[in-house]
Order: sequence, then structure tokens, then C-alpha cells
Amino acid sequence: MRPKEAVGLMVTVLSLLLFAYEIFYVGLVTGTIGIKGQVTTDALLLSTGFLLIILGPALWLGEVPTNLKKLIEAKTGRKLG
Amino acid sequence: MDNVPVILVLVIVLAIYGLAYVLYGKRILERRVVRASPDKMTPAFEKFDGIDYVPANKYVLYGHHFASIAGAGPITGPALAMVWGWGLPLAWVLFGNIFIGAVHDYLAIMASARHGGVSIMSISENVMGKKAKYIFLAYVWFALVLVLAAFFSVASSTFVGTPTAATITVLFMPIALIFGLLVYRTGVSVKTGTVIVLVLLIIAFFYSLNVPLYLTYEAWVIVLSLYSIIAAALPVWYLLQPRDYINAYLLWSFVGLAIIGALIIPDLLFTGPIYTGFAAPGTVIGALAGTAAGSAPIAFFWPTVPLVIACGALSGFHSVVGSGTTSKQLSNELDALLVGYGGMLTEGALSSLAVITPIALAWNFASLASATGLPVASALLKIGVNATATPIITRLAGTDRFLVGYGLEQAVAWSRVFGPGVFESAFLGFRTFAAWALAGFVMTTLDTSNRLARFAWKELFDWLEPKSAAAYRALTNRWVASIIAVVLGAVMAYPKIEVFIPETGKVTTVYAYTIVWPAFAGTNQLLAALALLTATLWAYAIQKVRGGTSLLLMLPALFLWITVTVGLIWWLIAVVPGLPPLYQVGAGSIVLVSVVLDLLLIVLFVRGLGMSGS
Repeated sequence: MRPKEAVGLMVTVLSLLLFAYEIFYVGLVTGTIGIKGQVTTDALLLSTGFLLIILGPALWLGEVPTNLKKLIEAKTGRKLG
Repeated sequence: MDNVPVILVLVIVLAIYGLAYVLYGKRILERRVVRASPDKMTPAFEKFDGIDYVPANKYVLYGHHFASIAGAGPITGPALAMVWGWGLPLAWVLFGNIFIGAVHDYLAIMASARHGGVSIMSISENVMGKKAKYIFLAYVWFALVLVLAAFFSVASSTFVGTPTAATITVLFMPIALIFGLLVYRTGVSVKTGTVIVLVLLIIAFFYSLNVPLYLTYEAWVIVLSLYSIIAAALPVWYLLQPRDYINAYLLWSFVGLAIIGALIIPDLLFTGPIYTGFAAPGTVIGALAGTAAGSAPIAFFWPTVPLVIACGALSGFHSVVGSGTTSKQLSNELDALLVGYGGMLTEGALSSLAVITPIALAWNFASLASATGLPVASALLKIGVNATATPIITRLAGTDRFLVGYGLEQAVAWSRVFGPGVFESAFLGFRTFAAWALAGFVMTTLDTSNRLARFAWKELFDWLEPKSAAAYRALTNRWVASIIAVVLGAVMAYPKIEVFIPETGKVTTVYAYTIVWPAFAGTNQLLAALALLTATLWAYAIQKVRGGTSLLLMLPALFLWITVTVGLIWWLIAVVPGLPPLYQVGAGSIVLVSVVLDLLLIVLFVRGLGMSGS
């Protein structure tokens, strides 16, 4: 695993933990995430999880998918690296 | 003429759109003008880079294009235009959509696809020269930064006002990623993947209804800015394609429910007037509330209607999307008709059936209550609207008109199915659903705008590449280009400033971007006129389209150009003098510069036409 992929995996795991904690624990137990008119830790953690979950898998699995590569190569005759 | 049943409008709108798609879109535009061929290689294959140039499934691309072009415009514009009555806005949406907006979108995609996926601004170089290209690109880049500022603000305000919309948005992104990973990585079919994520989405909907997510406006601006940078720099196959494909289901449900709602209550009559007057008060874009320009009946339907109703009928932003992200993902030329022409007709259907029709139905709250026997006033009271003090829907702000109209139409319809007991809860539920749909449109447009700003930025500096390839690469790096546009947009969306309005003697607090935002309506529609002229010139000069077909393209383009140019000059004369000095400098100067550029570009257009003809 390359360093970029390892970082991506770590970010993905962290974001999933943040999501799981805020959605399944805080949200379900208290019925709300954050307090109206305030910036709370819970709302910030979920927002951070939201941003990291977009970035993490992209770093981890960021290569162009094989089936897409094959499609382009078949249609263009060009060999993709 | 006022007593029109809902079903009549529904049938007319659907029939007109169906005929337009087949007779004008398929037979004339696709076959005679563009001569689209499934055998031609598209830029998505020719220039595949795994980031921006990536072929997409026809329906995925349709979802992307539709969700990106449908920002807040197709909702707030027609809602504001209802002060003219419902007839004129509906007529403009139908006419503008079929003969201008959808043509403009389709030709922008196809012209771009035939020129390696470059923007319509760069295509102008081929028919109008280098000067036109750089003027056009700079103009569009600034407009996109302004869109970013406005949408940071609109989305943040929506999330603060409807915190459950924030919850569903935050949950929506990982669900879309799951779809992309399932389909692209694990080989799960699109059909199976769709079923899995739709089940997850339904669970997320019910969760969001009960768990609001609270942050402040300023915090949302920062979160959305970071989101926009990340989302716009990532490969399209990873987030944009799956997200927009799934988003299209939300948006389809939204339009589909409007159609089903109308079918359940076909006999109900509109409670609103078909026509209130040619010059309506309170419609002037950019005029401040409480000032003479804001309340005087000076908003003449012509030439101001394109400044009020944008995306639902036509919008310059669409040509940037069409020749920006869409053309780079087109896998077959024959897909473009559904994506471009069909996508724009869908947006018109959204404006006609999900905005204009519900507002026309729910216009007079007392009349609606007496026609249905339902407790309209008490339902409205639940959201803080007093039906005695506010007896008609046009007394509400633009977006509220839409939320209330959509909620009431759905509640009336479903009360007929399940009994009057569900009326109030249905009203509140569908009003929230409408806010979610609005947030969905806005979020998609947010990162697409940033990606488009990055494309425009790159093309704007292409002259640098032969001189210094390293400097060009550094300046146009996808992260650098994204960050520059977002930081400028956020700087305009974040701070509040105090403005003294001499006419009322009051000081009002506004977000910084609103100082220049009034100019956007005009500059965006001017862009539409110029892009359509460029596309028609492309059809004339490159595609060699002549005779009646050429006139069918050229006449609406010239009509739009004249309308928007007169509208902007009218705006400078009728509205700007009544604005505070800060607005005069901000919005006024932008419109003035736009009119000058407009005249310069029309000279280049006429010259290009002459050269192509000779």
C-alpha cells in the first residue's frame, strides 16, 4: 500500500467513526445534532466527518476503475498507464 | 379565464413539451442542425484523463446536467414572477424553454463536443476571433465566482432555516459514494446499485425528518467552501456522477409528485388570477424594499421578464455547464438530445408544474379553504403565516411562495386520498421535502460552478502555456484554480456590511455579495444571449445551416439579445438611481461594463456572420 492510500484508509476509517458516533449515538439519543444558533462540538465533528468521508476513499481507492480503463482502451485503442 | 382547472394546465404543458422534444429537438436540431452521429468519437474518449474527461451513462449524465442547471433559479424566478399573474410567467417559461433555453443548452453541448470539449467561450474564437474568447472567458469566470458567493449564502441560509435539510445533505453524500463504489469498484449493476441506495436514502429521509443538524450561517459558509474545493477537484466518476445520478431521483420525485398531485385534484380551480397587469409592483430585481423602485409598478413584463425568470426558461449559466462538465462526459452524440434539450424541458416542467401551478392553486388562502373544506389557515399558522394578515400567497417572499404553494397543493391532494386528517402533517412534510429539493439543487450547482470556474480559469490562461509551461501548470493546477475561486466567493458570502439607504433614511445589514448580486440576473441572461448567438453562428458558419432552419435559430437568439440589452439599459435608468451609492458602484458598474462588452461582442458577432456568409 502506497503512503497516499494508507492516509486515505486512515481518513476513511476516522470519518466513518465520526459519522457513526454522531448519527447513531448523538442523533438517535438526543434527537438533534448541535444547538440552534451555536457552533457545538457535535455539529463540528459531523461536518468534519462529512468532508473527510468525501476525501478519504478518493485517496485510498483513487485509481481510475479497471472497467472504465478497459472501456476507454477498447474504444480508443490507446493503452492507459 | 381565471377559473382554470389544474388538469388543463398539466395536460397542455406535458403535450407541448412532448411535441417540442420530438418535432423540434429530434427532427430539426439533432438531424438537420447538428447531424449527430453515434459513430463520432466524443471528447470523453478522445481526451480521457480520469478526472474531468470521463464518459458517463446517458441517464447519469442527464442527472448531472439537470441537477447542475437547476439551481435555485427555476424555483425563485417563477415564484417572484407570479405578481404578473400566472399566465404570463407560464407562457414565458414554455416559449423561452422550447425556442431559446433548450436550444441554447443542446447546441452548447454539441458545439463543445465537436471542439474537443472546450467551453462555448473558447468556441467563440473560431467564429468571432481571439478577443471575443478572452472577453467572454473573463466575464464568465467572474460570474461563476459570484454564483459561488450567492450559493454559499443561499445554501447556508437554507440549512440554518431548515436544519433537517442540512442532515439529509450530509447523509446524502456518503450514500452517493457508496453507489459509485458499488458500480465502479465491485461490478454491481446500475439497477441493483440504484435499489440499494434508494433504500438507504429512504431511511436517511426519515432519520433527517427527526434529527435536525444545527450550525451557524458563518460556520456553514466555511464548511461549504471546503466541500466545494474538495468536490470540484475530485474525479467526476468518483463523486459527481454517482451523486448527480442519485440526486436526479430526488428531483424526479419532486416533479413527479407535483404531477401526481395535479392528477389527484384535476377538478380544483386555480384561486389566483391569470393576469394582474403588464407592469407589476415588487418585481424589480435589485430594487430595495421600501424604496420607490421597489414598490412602483415599473417592472414591465417586457423587457424585464428574462431578468426575473432565469433557469426555468433560459440561463447563460447552462451554456457554461453544457460546454463545461457535460460535454466532457458525453459518451455518444445521440445522448446529447436527452441530456441537453430534454434536461432543459425537464427544468421548464419543474417551473411550470412544481412552482407556477401550485402557487396559482394556493394563491388565495380563503378561496382554497372554501373550495376544499380543509383547515388551510391553521396549517399556515404552524409555520408562522397568519392567513388573515397575509391573505394571498404573493405577499410572501419568493422562496416561501414556492414552499407554501408546493406544500399546500400536495396536502390538498393527499387529503383527498387519505382523508382530511392528514392535511396539516402532509403540508408540513411536503414543505420540508420541497426545501430539501431546493437544497439538493443548490449543493449540486455549488461544486459544479467551482469545477466550471476552474475550466474557465484554465482556458483564460492558455496563452501562457507556450511561453512558460511550468508557470501555466502551477497557475492552472486543479487545487489552486479551485481555491482561488472559492476563497473569492466565500469572502463575498461571509461578511455582513451595513448599508445606509438615503431614500428611507434607514441602515440595513446585508451580506457583502448582495451589493453586486443584483447585477447577476442581467449579466447571466446577457451571457445566455451571447452564447446562443455564438451557437447559432457555429451552426451557420461551421455546420452550414441555412434557410428556414437557420432563421428558426437566429430569430429567437436576436429576440433574446434585444430583450436583454433593452432590459439592462432599462435597469440602469429605472433602478440604479434609486440604489444606495455602494450598490450603484457595485452592481451598477458591473451592468454598465456588461452593456459595453455586450455591444463590443455584437459587433464581433455581426463581423463573424459577414465573414461566414461571404
